[in-house]
Amino acid sequence: MATGEVLLAVERLTKKYGNVVALNDVSFRITDGITGILGENGAGKSTAIKILLGLMQPTSGSATVLGQNASESIAVRARVGYMPEHDCLPSLVSAAEFLTHMAEVSGLPPSMARTRAADTLRHVGLFEERYRAIGGYSTGMKQRVKLGQALVHDPAFVFLDEPTAGLDPAGREEMLTLIRKTHREFGISVLFSSHLMADIERTCDRIIVLQGGELVQSGEVEQFTKETETVFIEVDSNRDALAAALERRGVVVSVDGGGLTIEGPNESVYDHVRDALVEAEAPLRRMAPRRRALTELFERGGDTARTGEAA
Amino acid sequence: MTAQTITHDESPSARGGTVFDTGYRSYTGRREGRGRARRAIFKDGLRTALGFGRGGRAKVLPWLFIAVLSVIGLVFAIVAGAADRLGGPGTAERVNLPSHADYYGIASIIVFVFAAVVAPELLCPDRRNGTISLYLVRPLTGSDYVMSRWGAFLAVMLAALWLPQVILFFGLSAGDPAPVEYLRKHWLDIPRFLAAGAAMAAYATTLAMLVASFTTRRAYASVFLVGLFIITTPFTVGVADEIGGTAGQWISMFNLTNVPVHVNDVIFGDVSEVTEEAPARALGPAVLVAWYFVCTLVPAGLLWWRYRRLTP
Repeated sequence: MATGEVLLAVERLTKKYGNVVALNDVSFRITDGITGILGENGAGKSTAIKILLGLMQPTSGSATVLGQNASESIAVRARVGYMPEHDCLPSLVSAAEFLTHMAEVSGLPPSMARTRAADTLRHVGLFEERYRAIGGYSTGMKQRVKLGQALVHDPAFVFLDEPTAGLDPAGREEMLTLIRKTHREFGISVLFSSHLMADIERTCDRIIVLQGGELVQSGEVEQFTKETETVFIEVDSNRDALAAALERRGVVVSVDGGGLTIEGPNESVYDHVRDALVEAEAPLRRMAPRRRALTELFERGGDTARTGEAA
Repeated sequence: MTAQTITHDESPSARGGTVFDTGYRSYTGRREGRGRARRAIFKDGLRTALGFGRGGRAKVLPWLFIAVLSVIGLVFAIVAGAADRLGGPGTAERVNLPSHADYYGIASIIVFVFAAVVAPELLCPDRRNGTISLYLVRPLTGSDYVMSRWGAFLAVMLAALWLPQVILFFGLSAGDPAPVEYLRKHWLDIPRFLAAGAAMAAYATTLAMLVASFTTRRAYASVFLVGLFIITTPFTVGVADEIGGTAGQWISMFNLTNVPVHVNDVIFGDVSEVTEEAPARALGPAVLVAWYFVCTLVPAGLLWWRYRRLTP
């Protein structure tokens, strides 16, 4: 499925609202796949998406989607889908009618629009409910309609702004499954904006982290969550004696909560740990390599590259 | 649609069957771009204005207004027909019964209330629900959107205004003891009522949609418009009478319900009952027509500008 083609490129993008800098010299590129854009409220996620969709002009820099500037090329918008975070659905019309209409607004002929609306509603799990007025839908069903309208015209790229907002755990899981399915089965690339790290971690192939309008990280999700080169040791007692015994053997060790973390372990370190445990008479409870959590991205953000290619 | 052919070899006839996968799939067909998008917004505007695809309540008001406007035309035709039958040919004209030239003036308040009630329906909910943000990321600009919506409501207004005149024309023809002679003498009423109806429809549509573009709540727009049309009439009449002279004539121009009716009078070369005593008439047809264009084109420009700003 992956072609490596750059679908979305942002170069030195800056957006200012008066004295407030919403985006500051941000650059990244996105190839096909599911890319998460992670950041707290006010990090600049929605501003970046609006500029990419052509709804807003940047103060400086450029943003292209499928090789074109969406604010200059109306044609490219026919190949892009957008699911906003905010409410955007009319309450009086049925989902079938709304999706048919949105497909036509995307440029599809009426007969194809009707067919695709039905197919898309089946994909998002609303086929049986498609003739009910949207106003009577639950929050989860409305989120599905929002996803459906973003997909109904078969876009090459779809922007999802907080797609799990307001959903209960089951609805959230279903939405994430739908997003994964949308890319893996139909080849539609996704830019998924969220402030929920768990959603990004479980769904995305790549991640872009924005903080205070600046890019603090970008790369493969695996790269951030893979096993780190540290080993965590937890003992029932004599923790400090164990730390001293390890340091005497030249092992770099730090106290980490109730246990110890060893940096850069190698084959000989495990022998040193065994000997130190015996020397310190420390009963071993647990010893395991550690995995990073995405939460660390925000803690480590400033130390890493400020631009990158999320490909 | 992917199709896989399977063969039942065990069946005596070995008949083939086809399994169709009817799920989401890629679309490789024609994409008609901006033109289709505009037409879709126009079509949706027509459906919204007339309540199609919505519940029963959404249909009540527009169709009630259309029915009332049509009934007025029908009543004119019946009364004129009866007068001609009872008093002989030409009686309706002789006693100056209301006809094509009078219709838009008499129906103007209903037309403006219709515009005030229905036009906000085409703009306000899209902004209130946030649906406009979905439109503007599709192959459509803010100008395309508002022009398509304006066009849709204009089409509804034209239908609502022309239909009673058509009924009236056929009613008068059929009611006349010499229908062919009536058609020969009055055929020019057709382009006249089409032109006067278009003038009134464009004016009411533009003004109503401009007001609707300032609020996300339909009720606010409707109340403001009804107030604007209904309150300006007695106010300008009263002030114009009090002041008199040229100043009174100019103040009389601000009677917003009369603006298109003056154009109607110019088109028919007649004076309708509504504008008969309006001091503005003294300013002459050129000023009245120019004022109509100012009152229509300036709001149209403002409306376009407001939506033009939505897309960079």
